Amino acid sequence: MEDILKSFNSMTGRQLFELQADCGWSLSEAEMLAAQKYFKSINRAPLYAELETIAQTWSEHCKHKTFNGPVEFVKDGKKEFIKDGLFKTTIYKATKKLNKKWCLSVFKDNAGVIEFGKNKKWALAFKAETHNHPCAVEPYGGAETGVGGVIRDILGVGLGAKPVVNTDIFCFADPKYSKKLPQAALHPARIFKGVVDGVRDYGNRMGIPTASGGIWFDDRFALNPLVFVGTIGIMPTWAIEKHVKPGDLVIAIGGRTGRDGLHGATFSSANIEDASEVSAVQIGHAINEKKVLDALLKLRDKKLYRAVTDCGAGGFSSAVGELGSETGVRVDLSKAILKESKIKPWEIWVSESQERMILAVPPKNLKEVEKILKSENCEYCVLGEFTNTERLEVFYDKEKIVDLKNDFLHGGVPRVVKNAVWNTPKFKPSAVKEQKNYGALLNKCLSNLNTCSRESVIRQYDHEVQGGTVVKPLQGITHDGPGDATVIWPASATNDLKDYNGFAVTHGLNPAIGKLDPYQMALNCIDEVFRNLVCVGADINKVAVLDNFCWGSPENPALMGELVLCARGCYDGALTYGAPFISGKDSFYNQSKGADGKDVAVPSTILISAVAPVYDVRKAVTMDFKEAGSGVYLVGATKDDMGGSVAAEELGLVNVAPPQVDGETALKAYKKIYESIQRGLVNAAHDISQGGLSASLAEMSFSGGYGAEIDLKKVPVSGKLKDFQILFSESASRIILEVPSEKEEVFKKLMKGVKIARIGQTSFVPALKIKGLSGKEIVNEKLLKLKSSWQHAGGWPA
Amino acid sequence: MKKNIKALVVRTAGINCDIETVHALTAVGAAADLAHTNEITLGKCKILDYDILVFPGGFSYGDDIAGGKIWSVHMAKVFEDIKKFINSGRPVMGICNGFQVLTKLGFLPERKDYKQTASLTFNDSGVFIDKWVKLKVNKNSPCIFTKNIGEIIELPIAHGEGKIIIEDKQILENIVKQNAIALTYVDNPNGSVLDIAGLCNAKGNCFGLMPHPERYAFEQQHPSWTRKEMENVKAAGLQIFKNAVDYL
Repeated sequence: MEDILKSFNSMTGRQLFELQADCGWSLSEAEMLAAQKYFKSINRAPLYAELETIAQTWSEHCKHKTFNGPVEFVKDGKKEFIKDGLFKTTIYKATKKLNKKWCLSVFKDNAGVIEFGKNKKWALAFKAETHNHPCAVEPYGGAETGVGGVIRDILGVGLGAKPVVNTDIFCFADPKYSKKLPQAALHPARIFKGVVDGVRDYGNRMGIPTASGGIWFDDRFALNPLVFVGTIGIMPTWAIEKHVKPGDLVIAIGGRTGRDGLHGATFSSANIEDASEVSAVQIGHAINEKKVLDALLKLRDKKLYRAVTDCGAGGFSSAVGELGSETGVRVDLSKAILKESKIKPWEIWVSESQERMILAVPPKNLKEVEKILKSENCEYCVLGEFTNTERLEVFYDKEKIVDLKNDFLHGGVPRVVKNAVWNTPKFKPSAVKEQKNYGALLNKCLSNLNTCSRESVIRQYDHEVQGGTVVKPLQGITHDGPGDATVIWPASATNDLKDYNGFAVTHGLNPAIGKLDPYQMALNCIDEVFRNLVCVGADINKVAVLDNFCWGSPENPALMGELVLCARGCYDGALTYGAPFISGKDSFYNQSKGADGKDVAVPSTILISAVAPVYDVRKAVTMDFKEAGSGVYLVGATKDDMGGSVAAEELGLVNVAPPQVDGETALKAYKKIYESIQRGLVNAAHDISQGGLSASLAEMSFSGGYGAEIDLKKVPVSGKLKDFQILFSESASRIILEVPSEKEEVFKKLMKGVKIARIGQTSFVPALKIKGLSGKEIVNEKLLKLKSSWQHAGGWPA
Repeated sequence: MKKNIKALVVRTAGINCDIETVHALTAVGAAADLAHTNEITLGKCKILDYDILVFPGGFSYGDDIAGGKIWSVHMAKVFEDIKKFINSGRPVMGICNGFQVLTKLGFLPERKDYKQTASLTFNDSGVFIDKWVKLKVNKNSPCIFTKNIGEIIELPIAHGEGKIIIEDKQILENIVKQNAIALTYVDNPNGSVLDIAGLCNAKGNCFGLMPHPERYAFEQQHPSWTRKEMENVKAAGLQIFKNAVDYL
C-alpha cells in the first residue's frame, strides 16, 4: 500500500477512482482529484489514514452532497438550474423564513433543539435516523445499532439531553412475500422479525420507551427495508451550546474499539492488505450505552466537560475531527482501549464500534471525571488534547498517521451537479361498480397490511418505562385501539411531579402517494402529522418537524426529479402550516439487484416526524368513543381522492389521483379543533387515513365499545361522489370528533366558519351502521367482527 | 402523613425503573435516595440507615446469564445487611428485576436456610411483553403492601422473564398456606405457577412482584384514563408505596 501511495500524486483520475473503489471509500473521481490537488500543494504523498479520514468526512452520510449540490432540473420539458442545491432552497429556507423564536438550535448539532415547558428552563431535542443498509444485511444487529446510534445523537447534542422516548418506523415487504429473491437476500419475514427484535432488545435495555411508530408494507421494500429510528431528549437550556477550548482533553468513554463496523458492506480489506475479513455491521451492547447515559448525565449536571459528541459513522475520525474542526486537535491512538490486539492504527481511527462518546474536558476536571466514570463502571481513555493549530493531527505512539488542515478537510469537498427529470402524470376519476353492501370491503380494508393492528409489535417494546407515556400507542376500553399520536410527560427528566407540561410525537409516511406524486406525498405527510397532533390535544401552533428522505440512486435523473418535487412539497408544507424543520437526514442508494439482475429501487419515501407541546397532559384526548348518544362530527371535505388508498389497492384501481392538500383551509379547522379540545368539548378525536372514513369510524367504535349510526348524505363532499368514494376515499385534512350531546351547541358555535357536519351519533348497539346516499343501509357490521378483521390479518411473523 | 421516612432505591448498570420508583416514593411522602450498587458493596452507602428498601426493575447487567443473576451476586456481598433489614420488619420491595434478585438471594419464597427455591424465567410466549393486567389481591395475605387496594387491581407488566417456577411441591403448599401469594394474575400472561404475580414473606414486609406499581402512581398512567369508567379510580400502584410508608 505504501508504494501505491508514493505515486498517489502522479496518478490519473481513472487510477485514483480505481484506488478508492479498491479501498471501499465511495468517493468520486472529482473528489479523489481534489484530494490529490491538496497533497500536491503541500508537496507530499498522503498517508493511508489521511485518505481514510477524507473518505469518512466527505461521505454522502456526513456531507449530504446530493442535498447540498446544484441540480439541473427538467420539469415537463422546462429546464431550471437549482444553483444553491435542494437543502438551502427548500428545507433550510423554510425554517429560516419561518424564523420561530422557540427553535433554539437547528441544523447545526446532532439534533434539532426547541423550547420545552415554561420559564425557558428546559429544551427538547429530536433526531431521527435511518439504518437501512445494515438492516438489509443483518437485521437484528442493524436495528440494534441504529437505535443505539440515534440515542447517542441525543446524548451528544449540546452538552447532552436525557432520552425520554424512542420512535421506530419500518418499511418492509409483505412477510408472506413469495416472489423469487436473489441468493444472498434475506426473506422479508426474517428481516421484519430481526429488526423488531433488535429495536426491542436495545430500546428496552436502555430504559427508553419505544412508544411511537409505524410499519408500511410494499413489496418494493423486499431487498431494501427502511428502518427509521428516532429519539427525543429533554435537556436544561444551559446545556444547548458546546464550546471546545484549546488545552481541553480528548476523552473517549463507553465501549471499546474493535474491528467491527469498518466501512460498511462494500469494504473488503483483502484487496488492500491481505488482512483477514472484517465485519460490516457493528455489534451493539445496550448496557455499555446505558452506563454511558448514566455517567454522562452525572458529568453534565456537574458541568465537568465543555463539549461532547457521539462516535457514529467514521468513528473517532468523525467525532474527534468534528469537535476539533474549529480549534485543532491532536490524539494518540495507542491510548485507546481496544477489544482486540490485532487492530491497525487506521482501523482504530475509523472503526465504528458502538457505544462510544468523545468529551472535551478541562484538565483540572479530569480527576472528578475519572471518579464518576469509575463509580458507574464506565470505561474511558484520554486520547489527546484540543489544540489551536487548526489541524487534525493523529499519532500512534510516536508515528504520525494523519496531519490535515481543517479548512481542507471540512471545506474541500467539490460540489457535483445532479440531473433531475419529472414528467407530470395524468390521472382519471375513480370508477367502480356501486355495491349494495360495503361491509365486506370495509373488513378487507381493515385487515389490509397497511391498516391492521400493530399490537403484536408494540407489546414487545417497553413503551411505558420512565412512567411518562400518558397517551399510549394502544388506547381504548381494552387498551388495543390505534392511537393517533403518543403523549409523553417527561417527569423522569424534569423531576417535577407538579409540572404537567408534556409533548405529543407522531409521524407521517405514505410511499403509496409518493408513487403518484412526490410533491403531494410531502404535503400529505405534513398534513397527517398535524391531524394526529391535533387529535390528542397538542398545540398545533408550535409544531416542529423532521425530514428523513429515503431514495434510490441520486445518479438516476427520474429519482432525482422525484426528490426535487418532494423537497419542494416540504418547503410549501412547512410554510403553509407554519412548521419549521429542525433536523433531517437523507439516505440514498436504497436499491439492489433483484433475482432477475435488474436494479430495484425502494419507492421514494419521506418520513415526517413531528413534535408539539401539550401544556397539560391531563387534558389529552384519545380516539375511542366514550359514550352513547354523542354527536359524531366530520371536519373537512371528502373528494374523489382514491389514488394511493387502501381501497384502491384492494380493488386494483390505477391511474387515479392522490389527495391534493389544501393546507390553509386545513390549518384553520385544526386551530378550532385545538380550541374545542382545550375547552373540554371533545370526547374523542381520530384522523382519517388508511381505509378512509369507514375504517376510521370502525376504529373509534371498536376501540371504545360503542357503535355508531352514520348517514352519508350528511358528509360534506366536493365534486360528484358515490357511496364508495365517501366511504373509502383518503382525502387529506379530515378528522372525526365525538362531542357529548350536552356540549354540541357550544361546540357548533365554536366551529363556525369550518367545513363540518354532524354525520351521526354513537350508540349502545355494538355495531357500525351506515346509510348510503339513497337512504338505504350499506354497512351494518358488528364491532367484534370489525375488530377481529383489524386484529387478525395474516402474515405477521410469530 | 408521617415524616422523616427514608427510602433507598438501589440501582446499577441496566436498571431503568429507578427514577419513577423514586417519584412514587416521593409522592407518598418518603425521602428517597438513589444509590449505585457499587456504593453499597463498597460500604459508602449503608442499607441499614434506611426505613424502606426497594430493588427496582430493569435489565441489570443486561440480564446476561439470567434475569437479575449478576445483580444478585453483587448484592450477596451485603446479604447479612439485607437479612437484618428484613428481620427488623422494615418494608422491602423487589419489582420485576428486583423481584428476580430477591428470589435469587433466597429471600422469596422465605426459608430458614435462605436457599433459592424459585426462579423467574422466560415467559411462555417467548417474548418480552408490556401490557396492563388485572391482578387478584389476596385478602388473607400478611403482605403489608397490598392493604386497602380492593380485590382486583390493574398494573402493567413489562418483562421477558416473568414466569415464576417453584418445583418443590412442599414449598408451594407452604406459601399457599402462609398466604404468601399476595397477588395473582386474573389472566396469566406468562405461565407462572399458580398464577403468581407477587410473593411475600410470612411477616409480609418483604414483597416481590413482577408488575410495576411505580408505573401506576398517577391516574394518567393508566391506558384508559381518558374514559368515563376511570373517573373515580385511584392509582393502585401509589397505594402500594403508601402502604409501606403508613406501616412504619
